[in-house]
Amino acid sequence: MKSSWKNIAEPVVFFITLLILWEILVEVIQVPSFILPPPGDLWVAFIKKLPILGHHSVITFIEAFGGFALSLFLGVGFAIAVVYSRHLQNTIYPLIVILYAMPKSAFAPLMVIWIGYGLYSKIAIAFLVAFFPIVVNTVVGLKEVEPELLELARINRASEFDVFKKIRLPNSLPYLFAGIKVAIVLSVTGAIVAEFVAANEGLGYLVLQANYNLDTAFALVILLILAVLSLGLFWLAELVQRKLAPWSAAVREVEGSF
Amino acid sequence: MPPLIAVGDISRVFTGGARTVTALEHISCDIHTGNFVSIVGPSGCGKSTLLKIISGLLPASSGTVTVHGKHVDSPLENVGMVFQAPVLLKWRSVLGNILLPVEFARLDVPSYIDKARALIKLVGLEGFEEMYPHELSGGMQQRASLCRALVTDPQLLLMDEPFGALDAMTRDELDMELLRIWEERKKTVLFVTHSIQEAVFLSDIVLVMSARPGRLLEKIAVDLPRPRTMEMMSIAKFGEYTLKIRALLAAAGVCAIIGGNRNLLAESFPKTNP
Ligand SMILES: Nc1ncnc2c1ncn2[C@@H]1O[C@H](COP(=O)(O)OP(=O)(O)O)[C@@H](O)[C@H]1O
Ligand SMILES: [Mg+2]
Repeated sequence: MKSSWKNIAEPVVFFITLLILWEILVEVIQVPSFILPPPGDLWVAFIKKLPILGHHSVITFIEAFGGFALSLFLGVGFAIAVVYSRHLQNTIYPLIVILYAMPKSAFAPLMVIWIGYGLYSKIAIAFLVAFFPIVVNTVVGLKEVEPELLELARINRASEFDVFKKIRLPNSLPYLFAGIKVAIVLSVTGAIVAEFVAANEGLGYLVLQANYNLDTAFALVILLILAVLSLGLFWLAELVQRKLAPWSAAVREVEGSF
Repeated sequence: MPPLIAVGDISRVFTGGARTVTALEHISCDIHTGNFVSIVGPSGCGKSTLLKIISGLLPASSGTVTVHGKHVDSPLENVGMVFQAPVLLKWRSVLGNILLPVEFARLDVPSYIDKARALIKLVGLEGFEEMYPHELSGGMQQRASLCRALVTDPQLLLMDEPFGALDAMTRDELDMELLRIWEERKKTVLFVTHSIQEAVFLSDIVLVMSARPGRLLEKIAVDLPRPRTMEMMSIAKFGEYTLKIRALLAAAGVCAIIGGNRNLLAESFPKTNP
């Protein structure tokens, strides 16, 4: 009990100290506020822009989460197909690997040409960056099965579908969730980058606007909101993992460390 | 009485890439119903390969295996398997793991739950039915995997160094339990081990194999009274059996001998044809 209280108190005290130091330093050194505003200015900017922040946050959330959901759906499906089809493994998989080697953000201008200026081109980029970690992890998870388990299945004349449903799929879940946690954070980055290229709404668009206006305080507020958004999605994934795959080592490790 | 398993001049060659490995060479032996048969030999001599060929999981390069007089060319029906690692499904409880073969074989699961519970009781896992593998010790996990092998009540039990990864005390305990189950349920057991003591202690027959390429050095009938007890390990006859096997292995160039003159020992137990 005592140690868990300490585990909460320690970071809280640390961050409050950090904010106070920031405030004092900016004051003492007299840093111009367009370079580094004091934390108080951030709060003021946050309150002032609150009415518009909601809408833009929702837009970015939809882009990021939409792209992520799409990558989860298609990524898992594709991983299963690759594991079970030698043809796909020989043809589409190398193509995917080549795509993987390209910087996905460089697709953002192309996506505007291909899909247009609106929401969909952002979802496409978020999807693109989130797709690979999902596919790669799921493929590994489906394949890395103890050979003895497969022998056990063969000796009991298990159907291929049973092996998939009762061994491979559950076996892949911890790997999949590792991929999901990477993908979900990347998808937020993807959405922001896509907004940088061409957008008239969303948090990435707001950051650019803040930059043009030298409103550094507001830009930093948006960055903090993005951090909260990413962390929220990450913890959501963690929560779902605990529900769906409570046996996975990562979950037990985290539980043990608190 | 015809043998349950007849291994007829089995050889197995692995060709992987540039290297070819002869794992087994001209193995022949008969295994009779109800016998407890151990296979001992140095690591890499093909014990697991032999077990897989007998179970029908792996084809032989030449030679034939018959079980119940039938030629084995696909996985045997209703065989229990236990491996060195428990290989339990992490996402299933003990009971769920034990019922896995029942589900795979598309048998009626509810009618096997009582059987599974009886087995759980038999191996002393009562009260742990709903626990998950990570909540159990290695010994308990291996007990669960033994139940999983027994749940469909197979006549034949194939065990590949099942207790090799456990500490000595747990291993002794599980050896005793296995003997109890074997006597109670009248199984035929094929038990791979690299412990000579364990092989002698458990078995009616010990098959001694040479290092790669694995050949059958000798088939030794262990004439010790049943039921076996731990105390038997200290009687002279037990020592004679283990020494004989050591000498056989030493004569075949496997350094399984502890001190002493290798040639002298080998001479005192002249090699006989299996
Ligand atoms: N699938 C395989 N492919 C290639 N070589 C193999 C394969 N399985 C076993 N071997 C080789 O056959 C030999 C016997 O292996 P194994 O039966 O596992 O020995 P043991 O169980 O007695 O330790 C070893 O040299 C091993 O490297
Ligand atoms: Mg082996």
